Amino acid sequence: MNKSVSAAKPKMGRAKNYKPIRAPFNVVHKTILSTNNLHKSYRKGKLEVPVLKGVDIEIAEGGFTTIIGQSGSGKSTLLHLLATLDAPDKGEIVYGETRIDNLPAKKREAIRNQEFGLIFQFYHLLPELTTLENVLIPRMVQHGFIRYLANKKKFKQEAIELLEMVGLGHRLTHKPSELSGGEMQRTAIARSLISNPKVLLADEPTGNLDEENGADVMTTLHELRSRKNLTIVMVTHDAEMAKSSDHVIHLVGGKVA
Amino acid sequence: MYKLLLSWRYLRTRFIALASIVSVTLGVATLIVVNSVMSGFVDQMKHRLHGVLSDIEMSAPLLSEIHHSEYTVEQIRELLGDDLEEVTCVVRTPALMAFQSPTGMSVQQQVILIGIDDNTFGKVTDFEPYLQHAMKKTQFNFGLENDGYASEYGVSGWELRRQKAEMERRIEEMHRQSMLRAQEQQSKWQAGKPTVAQASYQEPVNQQAPSAGSNANRFAPLPTKIRSIDEILADKESSETKSTFHTPQFTGIDPHAHLRTQVSAEEMFDPAKDHYTGIIIGQAIAKRLAVNENQEVSDFYLLRPGDDVQVMVTTVGRSPKPVSDMCTVVDFYNSNMHEYDSQFAFMPISELQKMRGMVNPMTGEGSISTIQIKLKPDVNLDEAKMAMLARFPVDEYYCDIKTWQDTQRPLLSAVNMELTILNILLFLIIAVAGFGILATFYMIVVEKTRDIGILKALGAPSGGVMSIFLGYGVSLGAVGTGAGIVLGLLFVRYINEIADLVQKVTGQEVFDPTIYYFTEIPTIVSPWMVLGVAVGAVAIAVMASVLPSLRAARLHPVEALRYE
Repeated sequence: MNKSVSAAKPKMGRAKNYKPIRAPFNVVHKTILSTNNLHKSYRKGKLEVPVLKGVDIEIAEGGFTTIIGQSGSGKSTLLHLLATLDAPDKGEIVYGETRIDNLPAKKREAIRNQEFGLIFQFYHLLPELTTLENVLIPRMVQHGFIRYLANKKKFKQEAIELLEMVGLGHRLTHKPSELSGGEMQRTAIARSLISNPKVLLADEPTGNLDEENGADVMTTLHELRSRKNLTIVMVTHDAEMAKSSDHVIHLVGGKVA
Repeated sequence: MYKLLLSWRYLRTRFIALASIVSVTLGVATLIVVNSVMSGFVDQMKHRLHGVLSDIEMSAPLLSEIHHSEYTVEQIRELLGDDLEEVTCVVRTPALMAFQSPTGMSVQQQVILIGIDDNTFGKVTDFEPYLQHAMKKTQFNFGLENDGYASEYGVSGWELRRQKAEMERRIEEMHRQSMLRAQEQQSKWQAGKPTVAQASYQEPVNQQAPSAGSNANRFAPLPTKIRSIDEILADKESSETKSTFHTPQFTGIDPHAHLRTQVSAEEMFDPAKDHYTGIIIGQAIAKRLAVNENQEVSDFYLLRPGDDVQVMVTTVGRSPKPVSDMCTVVDFYNSNMHEYDSQFAFMPISELQKMRGMVNPMTGEGSISTIQIKLKPDVNLDEAKMAMLARFPVDEYYCDIKTWQDTQRPLLSAVNMELTILNILLFLIIAVAGFGILATFYMIVVEKTRDIGILKALGAPSGGVMSIFLGYGVSLGAVGTGAGIVLGLLFVRYINEIADLVQKVTGQEVFDPTIYYFTEIPTIVSPWMVLGVAVGAVAIAVMASVLPSLRAARLHPVEALRYE
């Protein structure tokens, strides 16, 4: 399997040597996502563990922002809050012009589905579905039964294009269990892009991959950003990964350092 | 769309789902089979009870009578009008039946003797279909047939009577021969002995002669019912040897004079050509189980068509007296309802009326004990009963008016209760399957926690996640129910073949027709019952999946994603 994978993979340089293509100068400085005095704590029985203690960040539109911090610094929690998967105890999150942390569930679901793309460390593909079906899931969630069927051809075409873009055009009907880690993560990237999101939120996307595959994923992300004019927010503990990004936010003990 | 896709994929890729489907399938199939068999059974039983009993019975108290039966019947016809199909009068009385079995054993049995009108009785009740002789089923009469009786009875019909008459004749002949021999011996003995010896041997003659002379009626009449020929021959032989030793002198009165007159009287009634009043008896009265020489259980008939029986009844009136008469068995009655087959005996109503003194000597009209009524189909029995109760008040007519359901109420309500309890128990089986589904689903939801988190992260609403698992439950229930219906219906369709197969494999008789009322397992498949079972099973499957679905819907996406 590995042979065919490496054969099909587009040959790219290592992340260390990769010179990212910077976004055009005039687009960079607009803020798309920001937080204001964000607090979040988790309860473990009687003990309350504060995770975020007043985080203020601003994410520039079209930029590649890396949030870096040690384990337990609250970086994943921050990303979950940005993705509206969880609600902050205090503070607010603003997306564009709207505050999104206190929106009704339905609107938050729509934002997650259409505005944000999510990538996880453990890929989080649905094991029962094929690569193509996994990529199509956000579209299925977005549309009702009839509308989905009516546009099925179009969606399918989009999904195939995306999979080809990440170099998986030949693995459309494979189940996740038949893919390698890098392939699974690239499938997850394709899935995160299917509904044309503005922001890509990645939670340690290379954390579970070896160096080469991790570099590949990073290359793919950078390439996509420039091609699709995406804003990427990546959470990692690896300072090496942060080198290629536009902005780096250090998170220490629940606060921006 | 993702709901359908995932439901379908979970259904296809989970082996455990198969277990849930199988449990629903088995539950549904069991319910369908048991309900079909039970309703078939109840329907057949009701049909038989109903057929034997007629719709409504108006009966005088036991041993009493309804006078003016013709007038009463007229009144009933007038009252019920178009609702009435047919009405018949019967005399029903407890009776004692005595007969000799083929082995010479004397048998007495209590029966319910029913005097019937052979024109109308068959129209009111299902009487004729239960007769055993093929011709009597269609053209009923109380005559003895030449042939056409079942071969398992052995010799029967006129042939039996002829054989018995022939045997009788031979015994008579033997008896006569032995007498002649005795006389010969005696004359020889008398010729060779002195008178002193003669005097000492005259004693038995003295004993016998007066008893024969003064009380001749005490001698048993020549039997009209025959014991086995061997036994009788043995009897005769022993008496023969006795008589050679103690032969009395036949000087004086002939001790067998009464036999000779009896024989001459019986020349008018020749058992080979004539028979007494015909009687039809329940097969269970005559039939017994016996073990043959091959150690197999077989039927043994104490009575066969052509045999004579003595029936004893009481006369009506203030001081009932026992009266008896001879009857000849002409056929058996077998409704497969043991209660009736072991008790009922039918004879012509006119003969029974004569026997019991129920005929008014002035008018010639016979009184009766019961009026049986058959109504047109779809007439409400209880309404008709109420109308009759109003027309024939009990203080005036002292008659009991009952529908067949009233008569058999204890049995019917017992069966109904059985059916209800059985259904409750079986539904509990499906409920157990439901809990199985609940456990299975819960497991699947736990197993799919991460997938649920992923779907929620991708923007799927809680309701959508919930409907994945609800849809899963519905499809599980639907597939299981569908398979259960097919399995159940196939089982019902081939139930007798399956019973035979099980019997062959295990050697155990599954359905013993001698115990139950039927030769085959009766089944009725009601579409409503099937629909009810199907809806119930799907509902239980859905209910069982609600709880796990709710858990799935309430899962927090972040926790679900972290779940390992």
